[in-house]
Amino acid sequence: MPVLDDMSASQAQAKKREKRKLTLDITAYLSPIIIIVVVFVFAPLAIILFFSFLKSGPYGQIIYTFTFENIAAILGGGYGKVFLKSVYLAIQTNFLCILLGYPIAYYIARFGGKRKVLWIFLIIVPSWSSYLIRLYALKTLVGTKGTINTLLINIGVISEPIQILYTNFAVTMALVFAWLPFMILPIYAALDGLDRSVLEAATDLGATPFRRFFRVTLPLTRGGLLAGSILVFIPTVGEWLVPHIFGGSKIMMAGSLVAHKFTAVGNIPQGSSLAIMLAATLVLILYLTIKWGGREALEKAL
Amino acid sequence: MKKRKLAPKILWILSILTLIFLWAPMILVIVYSFSNNKYGSSWEGFTLKWYVKLATNDQVRDALMRSLIIAGVTVVVSTLIGTVTAYGLYKLNFKGKNFLRTSILLPIVFPSVVTGSALLVFFTRLIHLPLGYPSIIIAHIVFCSPLAVFIILGRMQRFDWAWEEAALDLGATPLRTFIRVTGPQLLPAIMASAMLIFPWSFDDFVITYFVAGVGSTTLPIYVFSQLRFGATPVINTIGTLFVTVTMLGMLAVYFVQKMGKSSSSA
Repeated sequence: MPVLDDMSASQAQAKKREKRKLTLDITAYLSPIIIIVVVFVFAPLAIILFFSFLKSGPYGQIIYTFTFENIAAILGGGYGKVFLKSVYLAIQTNFLCILLGYPIAYYIARFGGKRKVLWIFLIIVPSWSSYLIRLYALKTLVGTKGTINTLLINIGVISEPIQILYTNFAVTMALVFAWLPFMILPIYAALDGLDRSVLEAATDLGATPFRRFFRVTLPLTRGGLLAGSILVFIPTVGEWLVPHIFGGSKIMMAGSLVAHKFTAVGNIPQGSSLAIMLAATLVLILYLTIKWGGREALEKAL
Repeated sequence: MKKRKLAPKILWILSILTLIFLWAPMILVIVYSFSNNKYGSSWEGFTLKWYVKLATNDQVRDALMRSLIIAGVTVVVSTLIGTVTAYGLYKLNFKGKNFLRTSILLPIVFPSVVTGSALLVFFTRLIHLPLGYPSIIIAHIVFCSPLAVFIILGRMQRFDWAWEEAALDLGATPLRTFIRVTGPQLLPAIMASAMLIFPWSFDDFVITYFVAGVGSTTLPIYVFSQLRFGATPVINTIGTLFVTVTMLGMLAVYFVQKMGKSSSSA
């Protein structure tokens, strides 16, 4: 059957042409980002993965002998505890952000009225003003010679300044202060998009406000809570500036260890191993988020 | 009935308290920037001398210029890459697409210390790139262009693609179609991504701190170095200007959007 053979041949050719066009298109549109990802994300990660199995000499030079020391120091030793503490602080921050963020988001969505835009404006502005200066501003407020302590001493409530800085409380407060706006906005968006008639139906069917909130409103705004949690939790785990400024050398997080090893000590192998572990932690979190909340939620949150 | 009115009031009080928490430190910075106190940490009468000092401070001016140049280049390159990538990801279907999308997410979800340290080791130990403008700009593009991809991709998903098809069907070349039809339609998304990336790049401290090397002080690095010696009142003035510029920028965006809406509905 020569005719059929001919047809399948031309079909195969068409398929081939299509495939070639696809390859061409991928090269045209996606090569820049592929170069960025391969050269400037994967290659640097591979380098620090390699370095994390090496040793550091007394003057910060790299000694090319293979060792598991650095990884063992994290998995078994005190560094591991710092990692667990970072995750714990991030969970705590996330929880507190929901606790503080939900009421204000709810108020703006339900009772904001004409002032909605103003409220949202007042929440966004601090979150977009210099991160570093905001943290410094908070430090000015709560420091030993800070405004709160000076004020309390002047009116005679206390005689000695309260030590707020360099405590767990200070770090948690600063984390919440820094990331709260990123929790409020997605929750607000979810609440604002809520169909009022569903809520009315719940009331008409005899639900108490309490029950209505927990059975209808809260489940329907789950997307907002998830988006907010992604925006708050992920950056908090690897935070460096907050523990650096508010924890000093007393309260350390994983990010402070990495920064310390690279910028203060100059021990590249140890720093690399800590960075790799931190990256692995985040990849695990990313995986769990995609699995649990879906890729859509993650990309939408951005 | 009385109970029903109580709930909004309690919520209002909670909301105001939250706002105070978010704003009080910034308001203090603004107030102290006009204070005579030489540590910038208490009120000792009104003065503008710190602003005069800021205006005549060469280090600040250099740092500001550097930050503006870096953010400017980053915005242009990242937005271009973001647009092209988002278009490709939206239009093309191929094996490994999900893997690519996840890989693009990595620079966004990785902590800045990881991205910063990995790039530092890569630049200094492997490709021997001089630290300074090249390393900073590359690092900024690495963490900003993924952001642009997802901002623009998000807008593309709520997009009327019929216009593009019509243009192609009527015989326009793909390039002409993009310049005359798809591009203008994408403009709001492109602007949105540029507007988000500029402050993102301008304000970045951690990654820049790692890859900047000696002598390339950007504005955030300048602020950080000043804080190390204890606060100076000049930092208060920089903070005040930051808040002011952010507010003006947001108001501008708000009114442009409002005007855009009213002109398109008219």
